[in-house]
Amino acid sequence: MEAMEKTLNNYLEQIDKYLKPMPVSERVDIVKEIQSQMLELQQNGSLPEQIIERLGSPKALAKAYLGETISKTHSFSWRKLSAVIAFYSLAGFGGMMVLPFTSICGIAFMFTGVLCPIMGIIKFGAHLVGIEMPEIGIVYNNYTVSAAAFLPISFVTGIVLFVVGWLFWKLTIFTIKAMSRGKKKLVC
Amino acid sequence: MNIDDWKSQIKRGTLEYCILLLIRKQSTYGYELISTLENYPIMAAKENTIYPLLRRLLKEAFISSSWQESSEGLPPRKYYTITDKGLEYLSAMSAEWDNLIHTINEIKGV
Repeated sequence: MEAMEKTLNNYLEQIDKYLKPMPVSERVDIVKEIQSQMLELQQNGSLPEQIIERLGSPKALAKAYLGETISKTHSFSWRKLSAVIAFYSLAGFGGMMVLPFTSICGIAFMFTGVLCPIMGIIKFGAHLVGIEMPEIGIVYNNYTVSAAAFLPISFVTGIVLFVVGWLFWKLTIFTIKAMSRGKKKLVC
Repeated sequence: MNIDDWKSQIKRGTLEYCILLLIRKQSTYGYELISTLENYPIMAAKENTIYPLLRRLLKEAFISSSWQESSEGLPPRKYYTITDKGLEYLSAMSAEWDNLIHTINEIKGV
């Protein structure tokens, strides 16, 4: 096997850097596959500069991988969140207004949505063993909602908040899809 | 008149189908796929389209992959092979494709 040119090695290092949000095993595999093609092109007589021109900027190539990862799976995960953030940082100015807003709202609403019923259960559980927890609950003017009534309210509120968060999250994915589609138009 | 935009939309919708057809024909690796597609301008696509697409097809288990050593000092290559699930998907796609061609011909009045 011929030695890798320094420029080609740098290219692969950049790809690896941009793909940080992906699991290490996937990243290694992606880099190895690109390297394999580089070596084959080199064997066929391409110069390092030609190879790099063919592959496009490492940023664009990494972004294509990240874009595919984010938009084709539909569930929420922390891994995906970091991929969203990385993609957003590569997406540039266009996404600066919309994506942070929708993704933060999505996470915040989903988080509070989960928190709400948990609090309801804690307050109710404490009430059952004889402890009142005034720090959790609803106070409206002078009227305080009892622990028993707060439990179902907390569940309903939690579900509503979670759904709102989930919709924001969908909107984030949708925006990213639209953005990577726009980019694809340029490369195809 | 801008036909390029329409062409790229067609490509976007059918590239996956073409890639699965090619992989069904024989196990192949990324660069070979890209080179084959270069022979067909309407389906030609660059690395930054093909590799992520292959990755998604792998995740959806339509294809499987394995690293294989190659001869003459060439680097190992990642070969893709179609799976049973992929064959099933491909036959459903083929049915829809025939349906589309048939429909268009009928509308055209051929």
